[in-house]
Amino acid sequence: MSTPKPQTSLRVQELIYGLKISEVMTKKVHAVSRRCSMRDVQTIMKSHSITGVPVVDTRRVVGIVSMNDIMNALEQGCMDDSVTKWMVSEVQTLAEEMPLSFAISAFSKFSFRRFPVVNRKNELAGIITSRNINLALIRELSRQLHEMEHQHELPDDKTLYDVVKIYSLHRYDFENGGKASSEIKKFLKERGITGKILRRVAVASYELEINLVAHSIGGILSFDINKERIKISSHDRGPGIENIKQALTEGFSTANEWIRSQGFGAGMGLPNVKRVSDQFAIQSALGMGTMIQSTIYFNPERKNED
Amino acid sequence: MNLKQIAEEVTAHVVCDKMNWEEIQIETIFASDLMSDVLMSDRDEMLIITSLSTEQSVRAAGIVGAEAVLIANNKTVSDGMIALAKELEVVLLCTPLPKYETCIKIGTIQAQ
Repeated sequence: MSTPKPQTSLRVQELIYGLKISEVMTKKVHAVSRRCSMRDVQTIMKSHSITGVPVVDTRRVVGIVSMNDIMNALEQGCMDDSVTKWMVSEVQTLAEEMPLSFAISAFSKFSFRRFPVVNRKNELAGIITSRNINLALIRELSRQLHEMEHQHELPDDKTLYDVVKIYSLHRYDFENGGKASSEIKKFLKERGITGKILRRVAVASYELEINLVAHSIGGILSFDINKERIKISSHDRGPGIENIKQALTEGFSTANEWIRSQGFGAGMGLPNVKRVSDQFAIQSALGMGTMIQSTIYFNPERKNED
Repeated sequence: MNLKQIAEEVTAHVVCDKMNWEEIQIETIFASDLMSDVLMSDRDEMLIITSLSTEQSVRAAGIVGAEAVLIANNKTVSDGMIALAKELEVVLLCTPLPKYETCIKIGTIQAQ
């Protein structure tokens, strides 16, 4: 059975049609003239960590030398040859005015890993790789999502449960640590969740929130809520936990005096989150970050049915 | 015992009140300067006694659903704490007594 082709979201489609290649490409191109040797190209590649160098003649692209060509020349001991001997001279270029969608099609049609980009006068104006495309899409989508998040408030309608809400937390910002948890607690209370369940959710959320403020360099806390359960996820950008087993041991703490002066850092945070969760998961890598997920069911008998 | 009896016994003044705060019945009390410990409690703590005069004391009270926070040791209460107490509907009281004496006095009413 073949997997169905994933449908591209309308927003992404709009982006790849709306962005011009000139907005995505690398403008600073390292190019060589016909007179340069293969060794010159190799030096450029090495010093700028690139894998393809266009060859130009009065700013027009006449060829391209890739890492592959360098290897072939190296193998035959011809590194002092002129680039014209080894370059690929039938170069597929893209015009800078074209929409990004053209570049994406070109990458799937040809096996090239980069395309020189030319301006209206057919002169070299830039170079585009799939890395450029990925970065541009991530940048643009992040910007759009950021705008959406700012419009996205918790619904007033008390019958509405399904909601995803994301909060950003900053290091040592104890003044705002806890705001998200208070908001979510209020949201659930208004929808009839009370007593021990409500307190468990609030405690898990608050401990995770304080953790982000006290121990991470910053991150996000997200809530995914439906009628059955709440999933609280904490993601941070570091520093990561060296020993997860230790971090989950009651009383173990890496907190400094200042965190302790705020009433935290007793080494009870993570064990407490685990204690109040129906499901608990943690992943961490030093220097990369930590992900913690806590799920709590509103009706405890239903937790085995998910 | 109700919150008013407690306030009178420890000569506390009310920094932030709420409707009918005097009548609130207090059955469970937790005394700690460590909010981590408050959060670990399994009971419905109604009153939190602490010398930690920060917004997080009020925040933690709101999280565990406590009705009131009693700040001991004559600590200064910030405007931020008062605003937060109002928002979370937590009664905020302040006593000049140290935490230990505060606990003893409240314990005496409880024993009656």
